Amino acid sequence: MSEYAGLGLFMALGAGTILLLLVLTSVLGPRLRFAEKDEPFECGESPLVSPYRRFPVKFYMVAISFIIFDLEVVFLYPWAVVFRDLGWYGLLVAAPFLSMLSIALAYEWMKGALEWD
Amino acid sequence: MESILFWVFSIAAIGGALGMVGTLRNTVYSALWLVVSMLALACLFIMLNAQFVGLIQIMVYAGAIVVLFLFVVMLLNLTGGVMGAEEQPLLKFVGVALAVAVSLQLGSILLRIELPWPEVSPEYGTTAEIGRALYTDYLLPFEVAGVLLLAAIVAALAMAKRERG
Amino acid sequence: MEIPVGHYQFVAAALFMIGVVGMLVRRNVIVMFMSIELMLNAANLSFVAWSRLWDSIDGQIFVFMVMVVAAAEVAVGLAIIISLIRNRDSVNIEEASLLKW
Repeated sequence: MSEYAGLGLFMALGAGTILLLLVLTSVLGPRLRFAEKDEPFECGESPLVSPYRRFPVKFYMVAISFIIFDLEVVFLYPWAVVFRDLGWYGLLVAAPFLSMLSIALAYEWMKGALEWD
Repeated sequence: MESILFWVFSIAAIGGALGMVGTLRNTVYSALWLVVSMLALACLFIMLNAQFVGLIQIMVYAGAIVVLFLFVVMLLNLTGGVMGAEEQPLLKFVGVALAVAVSLQLGSILLRIELPWPEVSPEYGTTAEIGRALYTDYLLPFEVAGVLLLAAIVAALAMAKRERG
Repeated sequence: MEIPVGHYQFVAAALFMIGVVGMLVRRNVIVMFMSIELMLNAANLSFVAWSRLWDSIDGQIFVFMVMVVAAAEVAVGLAIIISLIRNRDSVNIEEASLLKW
């Protein structure tokens, strides 16, 4: 476990920096309050809109592609690490897997799931 | 030190799971509780010398699967009245009582196990070791996983994509 | 490694039971689906703990396979849920009682 001490230190430093900045801004920052400043920044849109509104289903297509190809990448990480040890054998055994997912990509393309509108 | 970490992560995992099941009002909060549970589980994996699996847990579960859940919740706008009634007191009572009984039973057995942990090589659980096992002994499951992913993407597109025109 | 293996197994069992309760008690399709994910994860924890106990990598490989199944299941299952809700406008599982509508 001791090899994770550096990670713990890093996280503690990160949290500490954020806390320090928050405390410093609340202590040192000047306070000027007026109505426009108190409303959330919305680029001139009316801020009184529920954040929960229906998203178009297009986003779901992107999310599905992401999840499947994310899994592909997960399998390719160990492949990339042991690639030199495996040599040509590694390329040979990864080829069916990769072609399977290339078929998936081609199918998505054909169905038009990669187009935005 | 290690026991403190174990208890912190276990309580976070179980608390996140309880929060997910117990949040009745807003499905978005349920999904966020699930993220807490997944992250705590990833930390437990790392404590068990499964570093790569722990990181993959964060990448796949917290980074992809729960995001997909959140997308669907936002997509369908499930925060208001679409939820419908959830009152079924008898079912609730029986379910919770059953689960508590089984958990106590399992706890009385499992918490008494005193098997010693073996020493493992520093290689154990690294990406390279996983890769060597995956690409030699577990070659067939690996290829079948590719087929499963292809089937999943075809099925999901067929279900969710509407033909134009 | 001061914590015995049984404690990890108990955490896995408790998570699994919470998932079962979620399936039994909740009627919101999406939360029920998240409960399934939770049960799969409890199994993963059990796999990792036992494989560490026997100094073997097999359990960790199996976790990979569980994750592939979970991802495939989520992609297809959520697509089913989307078309269900488009048709019935409700996430209550009791309303999805007809095979054809």
